[in-house]
Order: sequence, then C-alpha cells, then structure tokens
Amino acid sequence: MAIDGLIILDANGRPIIQSGYTSFPPAYPLLHIDALNNELAKAPSSGIIDPIIYVASGGGGDMPDGSACCHIQVREMRMLASISGDLDPLVAFAFLQAFHDILQDYFGTVSTVTLKGNFDTVYQLIEEILDSSGHPLTTSPSILRDIVIPPSLLSTLLASLPASAPSVGRSGGPTSLNNTGGAFASPIPWRKVGVRHNSNEILFDVTEEMRAIVGRNGATLASNVIGTIECNSRLSGMPDLLASFSNPNVMAECAFHPCVRLQRWKREQTLSFIPPDGKFVLGEYQYAPPQKVVVNNLPIPVALKPNIIIGELGGSFTVTFTSRMMKAMENVKIEWYLGEDATGAQCTLSGAGSGVGSTGGAEGSWTFDSRKKILRWEIPSMHSSGSRVLRGSWTSKAQVPRPAHAFQIRFELPSYSFSSLKIDHVRLSSETYKMYKGVRMQSCGSIEWRW
Amino acid sequence: MSIRAPRKGENYELSVDLNSEYRDKRKDAIKRVIASMTVGKDVSGLFPDVLKNMQTEDLEQKKLVYLYLMNYAKTQPELVILAVNTFVKDSEDPNPLVRALAIRTMGCLRAERIIDYLCDPLNRALRDENPYVRKTAALCVAKLYDLKSSLVIDNGFLSRLHEMIADSNPMVVANTVAALTDIHKIASTAHPPVPSSDPAIFNITPHILNKILIALNECTEWGRVAVLNALSRYTTQDEKESEHICERVVPQFQHANGSVVLAAVKVIMIHMRGIRREDFTKQLVRKMAPPLVTLLSSPPEVQWVALRNVNLLLQKRPDLLSNEMRVFFCKYNDPLYVKVEKLDIMVRLANDNNVDALLSELKEYASEVDVDFVRKSIKAIGQTAISIESSAERCVNVLLDLIGTRVSYVVQEAVVVMKDIFRKYPSTYEGVIPTLCANLEELDEPEAKASLIWIIGEYAEKIDNADELLGTFVDTFTEESYQVQLQTLTAVVKLFLKKPDSSQGIVQRVLDTATKDCDSPDVRDRAYIYWRLLSTDPGAAKAVVLAHRPPISIPRTTVSPALLEELLGEISSLASVYHKPAETFIGHGRIGADAVQRKGTELSDDHAFAQKAFRTVVAGQQAENLLDFDEAPAQEEPSGLAATRILPSTPATASFLSGTSANPLDDLVSIFGGMSASSAHAGAGANRPGFDGVSIGEGALGGLGGTTSPPPGGASFGPGVDALGSPNAGHGPQEDLLGLF
Repeated sequence: MAIDGLIILDANGRPIIQSGYTSFPPAYPLLHIDALNNELAKAPSSGIIDPIIYVASGGGGDMPDGSACCHIQVREMRMLASISGDLDPLVAFAFLQAFHDILQDYFGTVSTVTLKGNFDTVYQLIEEILDSSGHPLTTSPSILRDIVIPPSLLSTLLASLPASAPSVGRSGGPTSLNNTGGAFASPIPWRKVGVRHNSNEILFDVTEEMRAIVGRNGATLASNVIGTIECNSRLSGMPDLLASFSNPNVMAECAFHPCVRLQRWKREQTLSFIPPDGKFVLGEYQYAPPQKVVVNNLPIPVALKPNIIIGELGGSFTVTFTSRMMKAMENVKIEWYLGEDATGAQCTLSGAGSGVGSTGGAEGSWTFDSRKKILRWEIPSMHSSGSRVLRGSWTSKAQVPRPAHAFQIRFELPSYSFSSLKIDHVRLSSETYKMYKGVRMQSCGSIEWRW
Repeated sequence: MSIRAPRKGENYELSVDLNSEYRDKRKDAIKRVIASMTVGKDVSGLFPDVLKNMQTEDLEQKKLVYLYLMNYAKTQPELVILAVNTFVKDSEDPNPLVRALAIRTMGCLRAERIIDYLCDPLNRALRDENPYVRKTAALCVAKLYDLKSSLVIDNGFLSRLHEMIADSNPMVVANTVAALTDIHKIASTAHPPVPSSDPAIFNITPHILNKILIALNECTEWGRVAVLNALSRYTTQDEKESEHICERVVPQFQHANGSVVLAAVKVIMIHMRGIRREDFTKQLVRKMAPPLVTLLSSPPEVQWVALRNVNLLLQKRPDLLSNEMRVFFCKYNDPLYVKVEKLDIMVRLANDNNVDALLSELKEYASEVDVDFVRKSIKAIGQTAISIESSAERCVNVLLDLIGTRVSYVVQEAVVVMKDIFRKYPSTYEGVIPTLCANLEELDEPEAKASLIWIIGEYAEKIDNADELLGTFVDTFTEESYQVQLQTLTAVVKLFLKKPDSSQGIVQRVLDTATKDCDSPDVRDRAYIYWRLLSTDPGAAKAVVLAHRPPISIPRTTVSPALLEELLGEISSLASVYHKPAETFIGHGRIGADAVQRKGTELSDDHAFAQKAFRTVVAGQQAENLLDFDEAPAQEEPSGLAATRILPSTPATASFLSGTSANPLDDLVSIFGGMSASSAHAGAGANRPGFDGVSIGEGALGGLGGTTSPPPGGASFGPGVDALGSPNAGHGPQEDLLGLF
C-alpha cells in the first residue's frame, strides 16, 4: 500500500543498506535487487533504464503479486524503493530524493564509503523517516537533527579512540535526550519551538537557470528560466516573516515550501511564512517576461558557431564561442558527444577578437573523455562580449562518424538575474530582535546548441 | 536459551564487549552487532547480551537495540518476549521520543505473542499529550489491525482513531487518515468481504471532510498526499460540494513536491466530474497546466512519471496544454524513456499552428544516433500527417528529405510511414513513388519491403516498370518472410487486374510458386483464393482485390473511454503510469461493482461482434461461391488439396471467429484485462457494411497497417484485419504496453 522498503546498492549491484520489508518474505527485496540488476545488465552502455521496473512475483505467502521498483542513481550507487498496490510512484521518487537530501545534509557526500562508515546513523534515520507500514514520516532535516544526532567530528574522533574515555562520550547522548521533547510539540511540522541563535540572520539565495534549445539556424526553439529561492534561516523563536518583491509579476508557475501561506501569495503577491530552521528551498518559479510574446524566445546570452566537416574515420571542426553578456561569465563548459566509435581528439585553443586577457588559464582547456566519448571544452572565465575558438579534429573507428548534432553549453553568471527579480524588503513580526538579511542573486545556463 | 555463543570467534568477542563495564565499549559492540546483522551474519546468539543493553539513558543505543530486536522478532519470537517488560516500561517514559519509539517498535515486531502486550501501551499512546506520540500511535493501530483485527475492534481503537480526526495537530490528523485508509484497504480486500457498515470501512462523511480539508494546508507533504488520496475517495453530495473541494485543493498545485501536485490533480479530475459549470471546469483545467509543466524541470525519473500522467490527462482534456508544445521538445541528453514519452505528447498536441515547429523537431530527432528514437520520430511524422490533413504535404517533404539521407533504417522507416500516408490520402502523392522505388535495393526489413510492395501494387497502373520491380520479389519469393510474400502475392494480382496484358506471366509465376513451394499455409491459401477468383470471375476478383478501402485515422486515445475514466481516477498511481487498471497488476485488487458491470458489457460486445462476423461470412459464402474447389489448381496439387479440404467448411468463418475470440489481442486479456475492451469496441465500430467483401484482399494490408499505426489503429481496418492478417495485427497496442516493462 505504500513504500515497502528501501535498498541502497553499491556500484556492483550489491546491497549496502536495506530497510523496511518487515511484513514481507525475505525473497521480496531480493527479487527487486535482481530485477534492477537484470535491467542494468540488459541496458546499453549508457546504463539508462526505465525508472520504474515492474517486478512480477510468483505470488504466494505475503508476497505482493505485482510490485514496482523505483530507482534513482546517486553517483555510483542506486537507491531503490519498492512499491506495491496503488501508490503514486512520484511519492517513491520524491521520497528517495528527500532521503538523498537528508543523507547529504548529514554526511556531506553520499558515497559507499560514507554510508558504510555511518550505517548506524543511516539506519536510525530510515527508522525516523519511513514508518514500517511504508508511510514517509518526517523528512525535514532540521527536525531530524534533533532526533538522530549527526556524526560530528568529536564523535568520530571518539569512536576511533579505544573506548577508554567514557566520561566524554556521554555528553552527546543523554543531554540531547532531554531536549528533544519540544521538537514535536510544535504546532507546525517544519519548525520546532525554542530555537535560539546568538546572531539572527536570514539569507536568500536566488539562482536562476536558463534552459534553452537553439536550432541550427541560431534561432531559439525553446527556452525558459527557472528560479529557485534557497534560504538559510538562523532566526530565534517563531519568526513570522513577510517578504515582498518589487516586481512579483516576473514570477510565474510558482511552487512553494509548505511554510508559505498560499492564500496570502494569491491575494497580495507577498511571501508570508514562518521559516524552518537552517537551509531549505523556499520556492521555485518560472520567469515570465513582461511581454507575453517572448516567452519562448528569451535572448540567449551566448552564441556558438560550429563549423564541422565530417570525413571518413573522423572529422575536423572549428567552434567559436561568443559571450553576448556585458558581465563576466564563469565556468563555461561545452560538451560534445563524438559518437560511439570516437577514438580520440586533438585541439588547439585561441581567443579570437578578445585581445587582452586571453593568456594562460583564461583561455580554457579541453579534454576528451574516452569512456563517455565526450569532448569537453572548459573556459574558467570570459570577459564581456569576448569570444574563444576551439579548432581541432577527431578520429573514429566508424567509416561515417556520427557525432551528436548538439553541443551542451553550461555557464555561470555570478550576481546576475535574468528576471531582475528584486526582494524589496523582509519584515519580521512576532519577534523583537533585529535580524540581518542578505540576498544573493546568481544565474546559470544550460543550453543545447544544435548544428 | 537454546542458542549459545561459542567460546571464541567474533561473536564471543562481541558478547564479552556487550557485557563490558564501560558504556562506550558496550555501545560500540552493539554497533558491530548491527553491522554484522546487516551483512547477513547470524548474530541471534547474542540476543540475551544485546537485551541487557536495552535499558539505557542513551537514546541512540536504545534505538540500535530496538533495530536488532526488529530484525530477529520474526524468526525468533520466543526471544523477543523477553524484551516486553522493557517495552512496556519505555512506553511510560517521560521522554516522548522514547514513548513513541517503544510503541513504533512494538508495532513492527509482528510477533503474535507480543501484540497482546501492545494494547495497553497503545491505548495510552493514542491519548498521549504529545502529538509526536499520538501520530506514531495512529499508524501503529493500522499495523495491529493487519496482524489481529479483533484486538483493534475490541479495544475501541477504531473509534479512537475517528475521534483523532478532530485532533488539533495537523500531522496527527494526516497520520490518522493514513491509518484509517490502510485499515479500510485491508478490510475491503478481506475474505469474506466485510459489510459496508463494518467500522473498519472508512466512510468519509461531510464532517470528516471539513476536518481533513483544514489539516490539508498545514501538514507535511506526505501528510498532504494521504489527505488528498482520502479526498479522492469522497463521494460528493452535490455540485456545490464538488466545487468547494476543488477550490480548496487547487492551491496545492503550488506545492514544491511533485507527488502532492499529482495527488491534487487526481482529486480535481475526480471531483470535476460532478461539476457542470463549463467555465469553472475550464478554469480548473487552465490551472492544472502550469504545475504539470513545472514537473518537467525535475529529475528525469519524476519527469517520466509526470509525462505518463500528462499523456493520460491529454486524452481526456486535449486542450490542457495546447500552447505548451515547446516544453516537450526533446533534449539530446534526455534519457530515451523521457524522449519517447515527450514525442508521444508532442504528436498529441500537434495542431495547425504548431505543426511546422513540430516537423522541424521531428526531422532533427530523425538525425540522432539512437536507432529506436529515430524510428519513433519518423513514425511520429506519419502520425502527424494522418491526423492533421493540412500538414500532410509538409510531412511528405520531410520524409523525402529523410529518404535522401540514405541511412538504411531511416529510409526503411520512412517507407513504412509513406505507406500509411498513401492509405490516408490515396492518389495524392504519387509523385514520390519513383523516389521510393529508387531505394528498393536498400530495403532489407520485411516491414519496409512489404510496405513498398503494397505501394507498387496499389499504384501499379502508374508505375511503368511495376512488373519489373515486383518481378525481383517474385524471383526471391521463397526466401522472403511471410509478410513480404503475402504482399507480393496481392500486389502482383493487383498488377494483373490493372494491366492484364503485360503481366500474365508474372501472376502465373507467383501463384505457382506460392501454391507449390511455399510452406506458410496463409500464403498458400491466399494464393489459392486468388487463383480461384481469377479463374472463375475476374470481375469479382476486381471487386474484392481492388475494392475501395475506408480511410485510416489515428484515434486520439490509446485506451478505451471507460478505461480512461477509470485511469483518470487513479492519476498519480502505478495504474496511470502503466495505463492499465490497477487490478490487472495487483492480483488481489478489489473489483468494484462498476468494473464488473463494465466487464459485462465488454463480453456482450465481443459476443455481438462474433455473431455479426459470422453472419457476414455466411452471407459471403452464399453470394460468391468463392470456395469452389473443383477447379484445376486444387487438383494439380494433392498436398495443397489436402490442406484446402478443410477450408470449404469453415475457412473464413473460423478465422473470423478467431478474429474475435482468438484475436491476437486476446493473448493480452490474461495480462492486461482492460485492454480488450478497446480493441473490441474499435473493432465492432469498424465493421462497416460493404466492407465485408474486401476483407480478404486487405487482410495482409491490415496486418501490415496494424504494426505501424498507433495502438488500436489496427482495429480500424475492420474485422478482416485480425482474421486474415498476420499475428502482428495486434502488435501495436501490445508493443505499447509491453514496452513499459
């Protein structure tokens, strides 16, 4: 009826963490692991398989007749959730995502090593976030931190010492045990009562990502800008905040954290909320340009001029990348898949027309990933309206090489916003202290450029 | 204690450490025990030693011990009973966390002997002052009901749960709703079924409705999903109430969690049925589009689920995303499963205004590397041409461009698609035939060959060297696949009927080969029928073989209307992702009265269809004595005769009947119960008068068409398709569904 269980598989498809499945026979999780590994074995080299695998079982016993294995890839691992019955697979995926975020919050990086090293914490976490009947429970990291103590540097050090310092070791456990009562008496599920901070501050981090597809004639085929407002709140007590924007109408199709009072947003286009403690995503929106006509045709801040000649057993290319921004652009990455049969590439870099400042590292670098067959061109920083040229050739085993017909361009624009969204003011009511407010804007782009 | 740890080895060391005087050493040992347990080592022998560590101030240690207990509760219930006292004690601990932990752990021990001790602590926990304990206890009731329902009823836990719907804490309400829903599901699938008055059946009253609508806005995302699912089960009293629910649920579209959004969409789709105000419905549909589009910026797995659901929603509400086609443009790096769904939706959204953008995208996709995706893109061009008449010419031009690339699989797929376009728009694009024929040599796939042969046969009178082209296939007749053989046979006969003077030789040759050297009974039988027809009454042959065919069309839905309605009620569930009703893949799913009724009508449809087909065949036999086997060919070939002896009685009849009862789609019935509805409906609808006579000549074409047209498209060719066509006739829908797995 819900999420039957949770498994994390390592790079070799062996389970490292397995939880849930209390009301199922032991064969049930094995069937799911098998099903996933079989699909992976059958899949082409890319390892891309359907995200939901139907797992038939012979029935019998407590085994559900038909169940589904929902899985996501996290670095070299795969997390899978087994569901049966009429559950929404999206619940499984949203849950896996939340689980992953929690692990990241706890351990920094989520890898086989960190999970194995902290398996006791992982199991405690799973107990808290997934009820044994399969209902997801608390997935808010700030509340979980009170119930399951994250492995701190101190406790890691202590664990590595021979167990001879009992007096120090006690400090973590019993004290937290007495403080936790308040966490659940709170009337709102995302914030506990009695939070105290020495300095009160809230930081808003607005990131806008442009996603676009540009056709071979340079015309924009599809584009949109998705904004994410992340918050880091370190405020004491029960702060009731009211954030207003000078241009709220640039935000369309918003999705908010449950703390945002939706009726209020609908009525006044202001964000009224009591924030969770710590980091959280306050909301997401799509940039709605003032003129409706240009919705699908936002100006693309970069341009690419590929000139590609495909010959026998390889080809040559000249690719010119130009920034149309008046601001500096950072971490430009251009990727090009050279086809299954590509064997190598040779390139030279030059900065055309930019003149100054194109020496050394600023010119960028290129690499050929021989496993993924991707040619990667990286430019750490670009001056306004500069351009760079990558010339080279590649070799292939195929008589007629078939490289991808699209370049993937990624770039970052620090302190820039496509929508010019501006947070006008943030007011605090219900608490008396002064708070520090900070807003940071940044943008990035992910453009597919066809040729 | 029957199990004793050995005096040495890992377990012995652990046992020593578990009894250490130092707290940290003991805790570390517990961790090592859990580590061994999770990698499958048997540490059950340490049970008494671990148990000693259960009474501790250290919450983390307590949790680890509980984890150990949960693992061994099932296999060694007699050991767990030793822990009962500590559990009961913990359930009265001053710390709410410990109280909740004790209740939760006892609930999932699933040991018969321990649950009797659970009732008193649970009763207390349900009335605990701390909401965390209450919400944990609520879920525990559902678990207890699953194990021993009588305990829940005898202790009055159910009525307590009903009281808790009015709890002041929204999370308690949400968990209570989830627990009651779980109990409801267990009760309603029980054998024997419980009466609807049973307290376990969770009937949502208007009073409960108000309570949960309030909780909806205040609980966590998971709580919201539970509440929304409960709302979707509510039967509204009147239109006003439906509107009220929709208005309260619409704000959930702005939740950041996709599963909340999808659950809200489901509630709206269900309660929209009760709303007659057209403007209000339109408004709801308009509000539904943006959140669905937002889901497309999620990770690919979520996108895929969203796309499957969007696909379904579009079949009911084609206007839903009419201006949003660009959102579905495929990116090069999208995983194949996302691309395929996007493609399907793009074709669904195509209209006069956006068809140009669509075609240039499809052309782009056709130049990609992944063969499967390229083929699907080319198919999509064909579907566009057929569904939007004004775009047909542009589609044909794009196809010609693609054929110009001379990439083998592109050309082959384009030829197959061209055949469908010829079917839809006869005698419109004859100009492209020479280009197609020029690629004859490059075709090596049976489907592409058969398609081109069909085109040559169909336009034989306009192709000067048709006999020459077909001649090459006749030369290699015995080496070709049956599909190609059937098409060659029909095409040559068409050629003969159109140009009798120049093609006497070739028709003789093909009939001779087909009847003598061919090992497929289908090909042989068809050759006999043609031979008989041609030698008896060329006029009748013409009427049969060259008859006018009804134009093909692409249905806007891939599932039958009844199934669509049902699936829309299950939006945001596995059913809507698989596009199949839940009971087909959840074995013990409950089959409601309406489902039974629908199955009833399905059956009667099938039956009526069979009757009709049978009558048609009988009439055909009487009118046209097609099967007079006194003629020469049958006698010349004894083995053929032996085979045809069986024919006179029931050849077509049998195959017609098999067309309904042993219809290839029926293989699916066992697996995909509901799908047979769509084929039966569509099939019956296509059984037009005047079509009967041509069914023989078109059988193969139908089979051919069925493979390329979208799902129930095959059925639009009429009954003859399934009867005489290759087993591929049902391939379309089959492939569509099986493709999911």
